[in-house]
Amino acid sequence: MSSIDLIRMGVKNLWRRKLRTFLTVLGVIIGTSSIIVMLSLGFGMSEAFKQQLASMGSLNTITVSKGGRYGGFEQSQDKKKKKVTLDDKAIAEFKKLDHVTAVTAMVEARGTIVNGKYLAYANIKGVDPKVMEEFDFKIGEGRLLHEGDDLSVVFGGGVKHYFYNPKSRTYREPKIDLMKDRMFFTFDSNYGYDMPGEKKPKYKEYKIKTVGILQEGDYEKDWNIYMPINVVQKMMKENERIEGNKSQSGKREEKGYQTVLVKVDEINNVQTVQQTIKDMGHEAFSLNDWLNEMKKTAGIIQAVLGGIGGVSLLVAAIGITNTMVMSIYERTKEIGVMKVIGASLKDIKRLFLFESAMIGLLGGIAGVIFSEILSFVANKFSNQFGDFMGTGGAAKISIIPVWLIFAAMGFSIVIGIMSGYYPAKRAMNLSALEAIRTE
Amino acid sequence: MEDLIVLNNVRKVYKMGDEKIVALNDISLSIEKEEFICLLGTSGSGKSTLLNMMAGLEKPTRGEIIINKHHLEKMSEKDLAKFRQQYIGFVFQSYNLIPTLSAMENVSLGLTFRGVPKSKRDKMAKEMLQAVGLGNRLHHKPSEMSGGQQQRVSIARAFVGRPQIVFADEPTGNLDTRTTLEIMNLITGMAQEFNQTLIIVTHDVEISDYTHRIVYVRDGNVEKIVENEKLAKGES
Repeated sequence: MSSIDLIRMGVKNLWRRKLRTFLTVLGVIIGTSSIIVMLSLGFGMSEAFKQQLASMGSLNTITVSKGGRYGGFEQSQDKKKKKVTLDDKAIAEFKKLDHVTAVTAMVEARGTIVNGKYLAYANIKGVDPKVMEEFDFKIGEGRLLHEGDDLSVVFGGGVKHYFYNPKSRTYREPKIDLMKDRMFFTFDSNYGYDMPGEKKPKYKEYKIKTVGILQEGDYEKDWNIYMPINVVQKMMKENERIEGNKSQSGKREEKGYQTVLVKVDEINNVQTVQQTIKDMGHEAFSLNDWLNEMKKTAGIIQAVLGGIGGVSLLVAAIGITNTMVMSIYERTKEIGVMKVIGASLKDIKRLFLFESAMIGLLGGIAGVIFSEILSFVANKFSNQFGDFMGTGGAAKISIIPVWLIFAAMGFSIVIGIMSGYYPAKRAMNLSALEAIRTE
Repeated sequence: MEDLIVLNNVRKVYKMGDEKIVALNDISLSIEKEEFICLLGTSGSGKSTLLNMMAGLEKPTRGEIIINKHHLEKMSEKDLAKFRQQYIGFVFQSYNLIPTLSAMENVSLGLTFRGVPKSKRDKMAKEMLQAVGLGNRLHHKPSEMSGGQQQRVSIARAFVGRPQIVFADEPTGNLDTRTTLEIMNLITGMAQEFNQTLIIVTHDVEISDYTHRIVYVRDGNVEKIVENEKLAKGES
């Protein structure tokens, strides 16, 4: 039997039972499109994660901190290791590592920035002015810190939103200009409030001079205020003297720096360098950790969603099998006659497999079209959904890669053939004699 | 004339639950090329079983069936299908046309399985239908035709591939007397024209008049074989 005849006959048989064929195909359409749509949501999610991370800061910076800052698990592990300090010696070691392009220490101080009647909680980070550029500080207004700057500050892009008027009951957009306003910094984080019964030390007020404001949109840097590291260290020492025993979060006993930033040449090397640093006994964190975590999460979500879609495709496959088995019952006699007048077993098998594969293919094609429509509609409304899903709104929530289209069609054909295999085998083994006896 | 079909000690036993039913006891028979044979017997005599065996639809419990030097009892299902395709045409009592196909499509179906291209098989089917007198019914569905017409389509289907052997199982069982005559004339006329061997199964003695030899089958045995004097071989 030639292939053309096979196709002609198969199509004719399917056409003969239009409604049944249509309903079976419908099952496959629902199955395929649910898989495609579910997977496309997963792809959309990974894409959104990536965009989100990119906005959070540099992916090839490792933040090294003293043990125990991030995650309790690693802390307990560290106890067994010898206590290491993040000092200049450690920094020199980091610098010697492969793939490391820049290292800088960072100290952190907390207090309040006062700007007229407005206050802002301040997280001051002391950085080395020399390496700011290398660590992706992107200036929005003014300039970055220079060497030799004294009480100069560079504000993170989001700090301006921190300012508020403690006397006002309702929040109003403060009328401030960080570049021009006169401000001072104090270590008193409860500036303006007097706790009853508490004797406050006389905090010093540092007049600060704004030299620049960073671009907004970098989550890592938006909320910090940057000053030269030596200045911050000096301020902290002064403050310790003022505070006396009440040292700020017990920093006095610790030596070295709180944080060291390590810049790595390529994203792919971050993991290795990070591990090396961890092995040295430090805590190390990078956005890469998040990226991997997110990738894992996206993968799990995708697998779950795909699984849900898979169930409906499984149901569709059973539908195909059912249809084909029914078709055999209906055509028992016909199959017998065909056998008697010379159809080979292969012909019969091919005929039934073709019909079920055809159902699969039709369902696959229609399913792809249907899911493209669904995806289009979903993306059309993704601005509304976006905030809800936490994807930031701009990203598409459903992405159908081209390979998925072909994979889905191929897969639906395979499903069709697999579902048709048992019925085809059954038809093949039907006794011709029994079949023609059926009246 | 050489023997085309040889049956040696063929026995067929059906198992119905615990009971064994002997359909064919011990049959030996040889049929020559281009011979017309009638297997005559009452229902339950085993004549249909015999026919099915010769057509390769059933396998004997014991014994040999040799057609054209092929041992049917040793052939696989796959080879039997091929064998039927090459050597055998079949006419059934209940026509067994495929209801969804037109007369022409029914006739050309067997050719389709042989891989004959469409234009050629359509031509062959058309010619054959014209030969059986249905030139004006080419595109009718079986349901739109009378019993006699359906049987003609069935005959056209059996003969269109020019098989060496044509089996007819009670070909006129469902037809009236006048149509029976027409159909029998048609079958024998064609078989003669194409030099085919014809094996007819019937319980109707009148049908046996059309054949060279009559094999009386009774209780699974060949009771007797009678030469038909009216249609002595070679004179027809």
